Amino acid sequence: MAGPGNISYRPVRAIGLLLAFQVVCLAGLGVHEFLQVDWREIDPQRVVLDASSSRQVIEAVALALFVPPAVITLMSALGFLLLRRKGWLLAAISQGVSLGLCLWLYTQVQPWYVYPIMAYCILMILYLNSHDVRVVFHAQWRAPPQQPGSSA
Amino acid sequence: MSAAASPEALLRRFEPVVRSTKGDKFFPMDVEPYVRACSLWVQRPGEEAICVAPRGKLDLDRLAQQPLDEVGAVHFLKFTDPRDLAPPGSRIRVFGRRAARGLKESREAFRAGRGRLARVGYFSRFVDALYSITLLARGRVPGEAAAAASVSYERIMAEEGARYRYHGRVTRQDGWVVLQYWLFYPFNDWRSGFFGANDHEADWEKIIVYLSESETTGEVRPEWVAYAAHNYTGDNLRRRWDDPEVEKVGEHPVIYVGAGSHASYYAPGEYLTELNLPLPRTLARAANAVRSFWKERMGQYAGEDEEGPGYLHIPFVDYARGDGLSIGAGGDREWDPPRLMLDPPPRWVSGYRGLWGLYARDPFEGEDAPAGPMYNRDKSVNRAWYDPVGWAGLDKVSPPDEALDAALARHADLEARCAALRTEISEKSRRLKRLGVEVAAMRGRSHLDAPYEEGARHLAELSGELDRLRARLATDEAVSRSLEEYAGRLRAGERDPARAHISRAHRPASEAELRVSRVAEAWAAASVSLMLISFVAIAIFEREHLISMLVLSIALFAFVEAGFRGRLVNLVSSVNIGLAVVAALILLYEFFWPLVVTAVLGVGLYVLWDNLRELGR
Repeated sequence: MAGPGNISYRPVRAIGLLLAFQVVCLAGLGVHEFLQVDWREIDPQRVVLDASSSRQVIEAVALALFVPPAVITLMSALGFLLLRRKGWLLAAISQGVSLGLCLWLYTQVQPWYVYPIMAYCILMILYLNSHDVRVVFHAQWRAPPQQPGSSA
Repeated sequence: MSAAASPEALLRRFEPVVRSTKGDKFFPMDVEPYVRACSLWVQRPGEEAICVAPRGKLDLDRLAQQPLDEVGAVHFLKFTDPRDLAPPGSRIRVFGRRAARGLKESREAFRAGRGRLARVGYFSRFVDALYSITLLARGRVPGEAAAAASVSYERIMAEEGARYRYHGRVTRQDGWVVLQYWLFYPFNDWRSGFFGANDHEADWEKIIVYLSESETTGEVRPEWVAYAAHNYTGDNLRRRWDDPEVEKVGEHPVIYVGAGSHASYYAPGEYLTELNLPLPRTLARAANAVRSFWKERMGQYAGEDEEGPGYLHIPFVDYARGDGLSIGAGGDREWDPPRLMLDPPPRWVSGYRGLWGLYARDPFEGEDAPAGPMYNRDKSVNRAWYDPVGWAGLDKVSPPDEALDAALARHADLEARCAALRTEISEKSRRLKRLGVEVAAMRGRSHLDAPYEEGARHLAELSGELDRLRARLATDEAVSRSLEEYAGRLRAGERDPARAHISRAHRPASEAELRVSRVAEAWAAASVSLMLISFVAIAIFEREHLISMLVLSIALFAFVEAGFRGRLVNLVSSVNIGLAVVAALILLYEFFWPLVVTAVLGVGLYVLWDNLRELGR
């Protein structure tokens, strides 16, 4: 049990694993989408494609937008697993960017994969912002206030 | 010196040293010449204000009469009339030029310094700009008033001789001898002179020194001091006399006065002061409900805002640098003998319930002049006047000579209560045992079912009552032991920590905060305007992607601002929560029935798992 001054690193490791899992899922999703498109049919000289191919291509290409947040997620996951607690901000930014992208894609092309990503990001955001997790990071970010007369 | 000494002697012995900020133009003065320089007006409901005593015809006696008093009437003084500055070629024109010159000198003397804008935040600067715009619609003290007041004040000082005076009152309350120093300033130019929240004619500030009195010798000893700052009350205003934060010259406490606002501080520096504008009641209630749900039901982090979400906080900087004129012991000027306000209070204090300067009809009251020392603006009696001990939260503290007696008396009370509780517990315990035997004897006898059930119910009630009594006794015994130890410490001359009562002290900005970079300050100065310009540019050139571009630009500005102010974590967290709420609503809209089915299946599986686990034990 973690008492005051004895901070539990369990949530930190758990977040690290969840973030790593998210990156793996995104990579798997990318591979799956990439394989769905018959790239041989796409002739760079001919821009016009049939509707379903066109949609598949757009959805696959749109997944490339998730590469930067996935990289940040991977970095923060490694940070967490190596117990670098400052990775919280990186993780939060990556979840925010991913969710923002999902919302934007939802208003434009509505690819099927935005829904699972959205659901995962919501859960991650709630977990990252939960009181127990924030307290772990707060302990480091905010030093206790100095009482007059106490040494620095 | 004993408490039997004259009130004036007592006041003079502990009179404060006032250290103002360079550029401040108004200093504590006597009310009499001020009142003589004023006209008295009455504003009756639904009517134009009428002058009941013109300038030159008013004095403290006439003021106390408060003529034409009736329900809803607001009496107020007018120290300056900036309309007098308008006619060209007149002597008043010369007066206007002098006023403008005086204001320029003041502004040259005062430099806000770097980091002022950066310290108060982007959202606050935006609200501050809106707040300033609303001043045009709200009643406010006219812009020229500060300059005109400055000239009038200088004229009074020239005619009367440069006099600096406070208004003193000595009272006794709850074993304390209370010395009240009421400082009267002819004008508050915080907004126009020092980038603050408001301007108003007249300003009453107060410093209170609390003395204990020896029962044997009658000697008095300073124990506590409280400096008024804005409308704050309670423990945080108060410092113990031996607190290192209370600077003293001999026996005179030193006050650092906020430039323009005249709020009093213990240490020199620049203070971030929040103006708390209450949200409309419905909105505040909704905000509270959301916060409570988010924090308690969802277990989410909801920040550390002590005031709660019912207020809109607009921060301003209060400059109390102490590098200006110093009045009092060892200062640039000496105090003149005080004007006394001993009980029964003089008629000008108790008889005049109106405002001591212009009534600007400001709904937030920030631009209206204050009432006198005895009253609030709504004519109710001021707490600092009728309960100066409670005003600073000292009503729960006994004077040192009485503290031991109070602790011993409370200990005796508790011991008596413990004895009574022990007797009651013993008696009820005996009764419980007898009742237990009686109930056991009735068990399994069908003809005694009804009395058995009645007896069992009584048994449970008595057992519960006994449990509560024992818990109370255990607590009382612990408190009693604690009181005994505390009395022992008091007997040995030990005192509580000097700052144990302070939960949130005002602190000046640190060196690090004052060293905000030039880039951050430039950003802070330009960001609001830049954002508005970018909105216009998007509206003109990017109409096709209006919403996306607006969202992107706001996000960019907010991100840069939060980075400069070290609030990136809060910003990212808030944005994420907003996005999560929108995304959750979309998922609910798209997959309502699948989600319902999943939830039901989830609950079913959980119940199954729980039951199987129980079976496996």
